[in-house]
Amino acid sequence: MTAPELPWAVLADYRCFGCSPHNSHGLALEFDEHPDGLQTTFDLGRSYESYPGVVHGGLLGVVCDETMGNLIVVRTGLVAFTVSMRMRYLAPVATGRSYTCVARLSAGSAAGAGGSPLVGATAEIVDADGIPVATASATYRNVPFGTARDRITLTNPDADRLHQALSTTPALSTTADGPVPVEETL
Amino acid sequence: MTTDADILRQITEIVARELAVPAESLAADTDLRAVEGADSVRLLRVVARAEQTWDIELDDSDVFTVSSVEQLAAVVREALQVKAA
Repeated sequence: MTAPELPWAVLADYRCFGCSPHNSHGLALEFDEHPDGLQTTFDLGRSYESYPGVVHGGLLGVVCDETMGNLIVVRTGLVAFTVSMRMRYLAPVATGRSYTCVARLSAGSAAGAGGSPLVGATAEIVDADGIPVATASATYRNVPFGTARDRITLTNPDADRLHQALSTTPALSTTADGPVPVEETL
Repeated sequence: MTTDADILRQITEIVARELAVPAESLAADTDLRAVEGADSVRLLRVVARAEQTWDIELDDSDVFTVSSVEQLAAVVREALQVKAA
């Protein structure tokens, strides 16, 4: 599987807790394409536990949110903010073991469908044997770059670089006229 | 159009797969917690698989009170009606 180019990689000071390789406190998740969407494989040590030997459930939310959110970004070429997310924990996730999170776009929730800026996605974390241990469902709101620019802290040069990177993201929903337009709301 | 019978059949198949029992051994009134091999983790996997199958979110208050295949199917039907509304 190939690794998609995340637009954030062009930022000089990119410290996303979930997916930056430059944040020593973060998870440094790396993503690969999956036949159904996007996936990441992770192995979290005891610095990330709640009960001894058990990965903190909030961090599993981070993993799911990162995988779903980045799936939407690489599919739409637009910044996506999380609107709501719901986790279902099926079994304890052990520290020091490998798990894989797979994110998928929700059925009937293709990016930009019906002109709506809302995109639904689901994620599933499975153990090394493919047994599910947690699931997530979430709604994201795609925003045009101009809106996103007002809500995140960027220098002007970084903003230009990110805008360019998003514009060249090979989004599935991109038309000959550019990315599928979304409403300028809120 | 998903019929009530379709939902019951698919729930039965999910229960059979997650609890590793033959679908033929399950009836609508089968007590899920009494199925051999059933435990809380496996029953939650049944719930998660149902949520993924129909792209729905079931209320925890329902999830932890349903006891039979038919009751789980009824909760799924209700969630589908809410989703369609």
